[in-house]
Amino acid sequence: MKKAVSVLLAAAMTAALVVGCGSGGDKSGGDGGSKSAGNVHVFYYSYSDAYISTVRTALDKQWEDLGIKYTDYDGNGTQQTQTEQVQTALSSGADLLVVNIVETGSDDAANTIINAAKEKDVPVIFFNREVSDEVVNGYDKCAFVGTDAAEAGHMQGDMIGKYLVENFDKVDLNKDGKISYAMFKGQEGNAEANMRTQYSVEDADKVLEQNGKAKLEYYDTSNPNKYQVDQDGQWSAKAAQDYMATALGKYNDASGNMIELVICNNDNMAEGAISALQTVGYNKEGGDKTIPVFGVDATDAAKSLISKGQMVGTIKQDAEGMAKAIATSAQNGLGDKDLLDGMDDYTIDESVAKVRIAYQTYLGEE
Amino acid sequence: MAGRMKTRMQEIKAMDAKDKRRFWKETLLNNSLYIFIVIAIIYIQIQAPGFLAPASIINIISLSAAAMPLALGVAGTIVLTGTDLSAGRCVGLTACVSASLLQMSDYANKMFPNLPEIPIIVVLLAVVAIGAIAGLVNGFSVAKFGLHPFIVTLATQLILYGIVLIYLMNGNNNGQAISGLDERYTSFIKGTLFTIGGTAVPMYVLYGILLTALMWVIWNKTAFGKNMFAVGSNPEAANVSGVNVNRTITGVFVLAGIMYGLSGFIEAARIGSNSASTGFNYELDGIAACVIGGVSFVGGIGKISGIVLGVLILKLIFTGLNFLSVSVNMIYIIKGIIILVACAIDMRKYLVRK
Repeated sequence: MKKAVSVLLAAAMTAALVVGCGSGGDKSGGDGGSKSAGNVHVFYYSYSDAYISTVRTALDKQWEDLGIKYTDYDGNGTQQTQTEQVQTALSSGADLLVVNIVETGSDDAANTIINAAKEKDVPVIFFNREVSDEVVNGYDKCAFVGTDAAEAGHMQGDMIGKYLVENFDKVDLNKDGKISYAMFKGQEGNAEANMRTQYSVEDADKVLEQNGKAKLEYYDTSNPNKYQVDQDGQWSAKAAQDYMATALGKYNDASGNMIELVICNNDNMAEGAISALQTVGYNKEGGDKTIPVFGVDATDAAKSLISKGQMVGTIKQDAEGMAKAIATSAQNGLGDKDLLDGMDDYTIDESVAKVRIAYQTYLGEE
Repeated sequence: MAGRMKTRMQEIKAMDAKDKRRFWKETLLNNSLYIFIVIAIIYIQIQAPGFLAPASIINIISLSAAAMPLALGVAGTIVLTGTDLSAGRCVGLTACVSASLLQMSDYANKMFPNLPEIPIIVVLLAVVAIGAIAGLVNGFSVAKFGLHPFIVTLATQLILYGIVLIYLMNGNNNGQAISGLDERYTSFIKGTLFTIGGTAVPMYVLYGILLTALMWVIWNKTAFGKNMFAVGSNPEAANVSGVNVNRTITGVFVLAGIMYGLSGFIEAARIGSNSASTGFNYELDGIAACVIGGVSFVGGIGKISGIVLGVLILKLIFTGLNFLSVSVNMIYIIKGIIILVACAIDMRKYLVRK
């Protein structure tokens, strides 16, 4: 018995090792002889982020198609880890860094990376999680590929406002002429989360006021923040689910103060909120009681929910488009050209090398 | 019971004034947790009426029931003076596996598009098996190599996290959150058990209760349970009196792993969206609930009723502070204070004995 167990354990460990090595480490594609072939190191802020994972898949494919040698890193949500990974990569002879920075709250982390890269004259492309203009302008071989963080919030707000104007009476369950909403924020101190949380409501209010409707009202008047945030900073479905279930204990049909609208920083949280609503009989497939829920990302799960009428809308982030832009810019960098050379088709900020991939509103397949 | 109460009363009467004062002080301190809960509930109810409305109470019970299986599992490892840091990641892995095997057949982004409809029970057994294997690795390493569970599970939680990340890149999933779950599965977990005052009680409350009862039987009525306490309080003594220490330790971890598997199975459908962050930090809440409820790191001490109480207190804090619209930052601080105070009071009992 004991022997069998130890054999089993050893086998399991070996298997884990093989699997581990198979998926990590260098992946070199193509012949490596062409001009653009180089050694690209890509630093993701966290492998656990669903959207970033789709970017990673798309980007890995780009590198392979272009025959560029690449190495992926998982920052695991910790700037310290990522900075050390960058330093190690530079010392191992990286030709180009593609960085999805962890810490967006201040410039320190980005500057540390820039300074280290400068010493070795290695180009740096930041993506997705935005760094400040000063960081990008501080180094001629630096660019940023991402979205305009504020845009997602603005678009979400605009989408919500338009939806509410059209469906005001249906959404206003208790007929008090006001829509009460819940807001779930993904992470405290994250610029994108801040902007989405702020602009989605502001812009929805703008549309509502233009059409002579009352502004949105946060469901819990005694909460001055007007949002609830994932304490672990994971933008997780679980946080939204727990908050929503708890809120529904106090705000429901029976009390005549049901939450009439749910706004989420991302689709994961929207799914969690919908799951909580379902437990109390709302937002079921084909059900007659549905609270409008809005997210951001347009994950496949959200698209499916929207197609079934369990969710209203989301904002699409174009993972493929972003990967393509990064790969093009990286080719420029490896070819000793300006990072944004030949990228005139893209939306680029005026005074800084920042490429903006546009968001799109998603309300279902046309 | 009544007789015991009577003699107790007589004892108190027989004490002199100083002893009496000490007796009441001790009683107050030892039951301070209950007193705290009652005061907290009354305060929250006054400040935010509706806290004790049926819908709210059902929510607190539901949240507690969902957290129970993991706490029950990790409790056994604490009784052995150990801990289990891999609990959360184990829940994450089993949740992702459950979800991926039980997606709607017509779901556009199905992880395994050609997967036939699998009976729920098969998936349940599969994730229980995964949990058990993870537990076996933990328990075997602790028992056989004499490593501290902290080290072993620190290692295995990393391994499990890596496996989750690899697993999520499978099929055409691309690391996305797994959702679009089969109606059979969601109604099995989230479906309505019965309705009180218009509020549905979800099925998983029943499972939480059943697992608690099962665990009570294992802890109190089986030789394995008694061995666990014996090993926890003194492994050498247990060994001398004929308990197979290694097998008991391994068993406790396997049992814990099974509980995590069940927890993952429930969480996957409860949350509805499963990613690599599922289960993150769950073990900390589980361990906190256990120590608040008097499962002691001293070893060999703990009661199922204590774990239930600990889980309830944590959920009361969460919902109560949300009802009061207290900033989330304060929730951390209050949780920390409660853990510290609860353990300090608990420890006093043993310090006095020594």
